[in-house]
Amino acid sequence: MAQIEQGGGDGKKKKGAQKKMAIHVDFTPMVDMNMLLITFFMLCTTMIKSQTLNISLPSNEKVEQAEQNKAKESEAITLILATDRDSQGNVKNGPDGKPMNTIYYYEGKPVVDDADKDGLIDNSNLKVEHFVGNEGNEVQGIRRILHNKNKKVLEKIDEQKARWRNKEISEEEYQALAKKIRNDSTLSRPVVIIKATPEASWESVITALDEMQINQISRYQIDNINQVDSVLILDYLAKNRK
Amino acid sequence: MGKVKIKRKSTLIDMTAMSDVTVLLLTFFMLTSTFLQKEPTTVITPSSVSEIKVPTANVASVLVSPEGKVFLSVAGEADPNVAGGEWASEPIRAEVLRKAVQTYEKYTGKKTGITEGDIVKFSKINMFGVPLDVMHSFLELSQTKQDEFIGDMNNPQVGIPLKDITYTDQDGNKVTTNEFQIWMRAIYNSGNDNLQSAMKSGEGIAVKADRGTPYTTVHQVLDNLQTMKMNRFSVMTALKTEKD
Repeated sequence: MAQIEQGGGDGKKKKGAQKKMAIHVDFTPMVDMNMLLITFFMLCTTMIKSQTLNISLPSNEKVEQAEQNKAKESEAITLILATDRDSQGNVKNGPDGKPMNTIYYYEGKPVVDDADKDGLIDNSNLKVEHFVGNEGNEVQGIRRILHNKNKKVLEKIDEQKARWRNKEISEEEYQALAKKIRNDSTLSRPVVIIKATPEASWESVITALDEMQINQISRYQIDNINQVDSVLILDYLAKNRK
Repeated sequence: MGKVKIKRKSTLIDMTAMSDVTVLLLTFFMLTSTFLQKEPTTVITPSSVSEIKVPTANVASVLVSPEGKVFLSVAGEADPNVAGGEWASEPIRAEVLRKAVQTYEKYTGKKTGITEGDIVKFSKINMFGVPLDVMHSFLELSQTKQDEFIGDMNNPQVGIPLKDITYTDQDGNKVTTNEFQIWMRAIYNSGNDNLQSAMKSGEGIAVKADRGTPYTTVHQVLDNLQTMKMNRFSVMTALKTEKD
């Protein structure tokens, strides 16, 4: 493999002159081995580390009704997440190839009116939205609803963001200011209650929590679904069956 | 007519440059890589915009399979030599198993039959998830057999049971717990203060579940964490891509 060639073999060598030797080492097996090792490392490694999302849940202990922090009705919005599943329990994908996650939501308290006492809900304040990303700069879907609810905070944060972009303030200052604005109680901020139906996918729960981050909402909680919520959804489905 | 002599050219290619490049690439991969941890099932985590990285040290991760099986793994201090090496992953795992067995035997009155040899074997396993009463026979298996056993999601003996264990303490009060809670408490009380404070602040508990898993399945685990007053924890997600 490695060979030593004697150069300039013309026979006209001067006596005493050093022999010039060109040394060729064949690196092909070395490259082969390296390639194998690279392949091994590429297949066995994780390049992207997972991200985490911090959650804090309320404790499971029973809280006295009087002590409970009641959210102001005008500020509260309840999201109920649901996911369409097929008979095997797999998540159905919609026509756009995305999982069919539905968000039922109501603002304030649930309205269950039954004036004519026929057992049917006359008008509920339950509405339906979906998770859709931005269309250009236009917010859509549930993000639009939450965006409008938290408009005052977002406007102020955008002001600071512009200053940060123009290098007027440093990133740390911006983060500190943004945090202060998010928790500013003089602004009208929503309280979001996230509930999930038993068959709702984990992804939809995470996406909902993600929307809180996107919309800079500081007050949100995960709660268990109750009877009224199920009744409202069943009622909605019964009325809107295709 | 003179013969046209075709000059014989050597076909040897100089591979030195190529070799240089491959060695550089190899060095890069070796330095940047962290090895994939062996997990009983593959889960695809949901995506989020959160940019907080998963800690690699002092973390207890809970894996919830789509079938509702629960697995746990514990990672110790990043530097294995800190404070004499007792907080590296392996000694912590051994300590966790000792504590868990102790509590389990006290609560149920059953013997698990776990020996010191089993504890050594257990400390080498990254992710575990079998009921404590079959732990001994599980650890007796060879490594490939163990992987086979734990990878079977339809086996009722796989996964940490969330079934209630009721026991009466010396004051006559009924206490309800389960094996998952026993394990989590054992991890919390393993003696490493850094791990304990990480678990308190929520960074030390990472819940990982598949995107399609029904909420009830994950909720079982979250509910147990809430009961143990481990209200703060983190959820593993992938980075959101442009099209999400």
